[in-house]
Amino acid sequence: MSIFNFFRAAPRASAVQAKERLQIVMAHERAGRSGPDYLPMLQQELLAVIAKYVNIDENKVEVKLDRGGDCSTLEVNIELPAREQAKAAATAKPGDKPAGNDDAAAKRPAGGAVGNAGAKKRI
Amino acid sequence: MSKIIVMTSGKGGVGKTTSSAAFATGLALRGFKTVVIDFDVGLRNLDLVMGCERRVVFDFINVINGEAKLNQALIKDKRIENLYILPTSQTRDKDALTREGVEKVLNELSKDFDYILCDSPAGIERGALMSLYFADHAIIVTNPEVSSVRDSDRILGVLNSRSRRAEQGLEPVTQQLLLTRYDPERVEKGEMLKVDDVLEILAIPLLGVIPESQAVLRASNVGMPVILDEVSNAGLAYSDAVGRFLGEDIEHRFVTPQKKGLFSRLLRRSA
Ligand SMILES: Nc1ncnc2c1ncn2[C@@H]1O[C@H](COP(=O)(O)OP(=O)(O)O)[C@@H](O)[C@H]1O
Ligand SMILES: [Mg+2]
Repeated sequence: MSIFNFFRAAPRASAVQAKERLQIVMAHERAGRSGPDYLPMLQQELLAVIAKYVNIDENKVEVKLDRGGDCSTLEVNIELPAREQAKAAATAKPGDKPAGNDDAAAKRPAGGAVGNAGAKKRI
Repeated sequence: MSKIIVMTSGKGGVGKTTSSAAFATGLALRGFKTVVIDFDVGLRNLDLVMGCERRVVFDFINVINGEAKLNQALIKDKRIENLYILPTSQTRDKDALTREGVEKVLNELSKDFDYILCDSPAGIERGALMSLYFADHAIIVTNPEVSSVRDSDRILGVLNSRSRRAEQGLEPVTQQLLLTRYDPERVEKGEMLKVDDVLEILAIPLLGVIPESQAVLRASNVGMPVILDEVSNAGLAYSDAVGRFLGEDIEHRFVTPQKKGLFSRLLRRSA
């Protein structure tokens, strides 16, 4: 099934979905308008507390929010180092891909597969 | 004392300028002395839609800066008695819109006009804020589409918290919805939000529904507010909306698909 068929499969539903999505997101936005955005502060404070006990890498913290109709979930994922040693190794060698930063590495034009793909396109 | 109306939406390209031109013209046609002001500094367009682009000498910003007198910048419409346009600058940016400057110009216009209609730029930055700050009434221009509805809700929040009326604890800015580019056929197919859906979500009174119409482009091509196209659905819908704004009880038209016989199809095409 092509992506076009997917969109055509249920034409009746799309306006209904639009309405439902709007109702949910806007209920949250209206409620949040009065107060300040607390998520960045919450994240900082959580990190500060955890950092008291374990050594954490700031790049390995993931905060996810899923706004639902009846309830929302806030998910905080903090990757803890298996051993102190492992962490030291990852940060010591600047030439290596820094872990948790794969996106930036993939975008770099130089080197292996990525560079080749770029060259092919140009021909 | 005049009534200040802002035509606003948050989102761009939903029909604010089209609606401002139509509404101002409609009010003037009914005998009210009306001025329509372009607040979209840097992206002047109202003059084109109103068909007076070749007559712009001085603009709103010149008046704010004391570089020109208000009556030098006001352009009197050639077709309609009682209708004036205050164009904006193409070269300055929105920082030129100071609250004091805008207030001064609005106060001066107030002495002379029944209605001052402010055509807001998109966004919620200075230009949009200044266009709504002094408003007594807001017409929220919305398309039946998720991002437009959400942005309209944002603007309603701004009107209720950052307008002069809100800041000074006066009667709130009254608000009405103008749902534009409505396509009843797509609504019937379930592809587009219904009038009632949008009303339920935004919870403000309905001023009018303007159908998606080829007449709008034709009108802007020639610099004629579409309300003057009296055979087009969009023109008639704007006319009805102006009537409702003035308190008349007019039923909504063009919200259900029109029965299309071959004959009416031909008629519509030539209309
Ligand atoms: N009812 C309508 N039917 C068809 N096209 C429309 C309608 N209303 C507006 N448009 C078109 O949408 C575009 C944006 O309109 P405009 O009034 O400039 O929006 P805004 O001022 O909100 O940016 C224009 O090309 C205009 O011709
Ligand atoms: Mg505009």
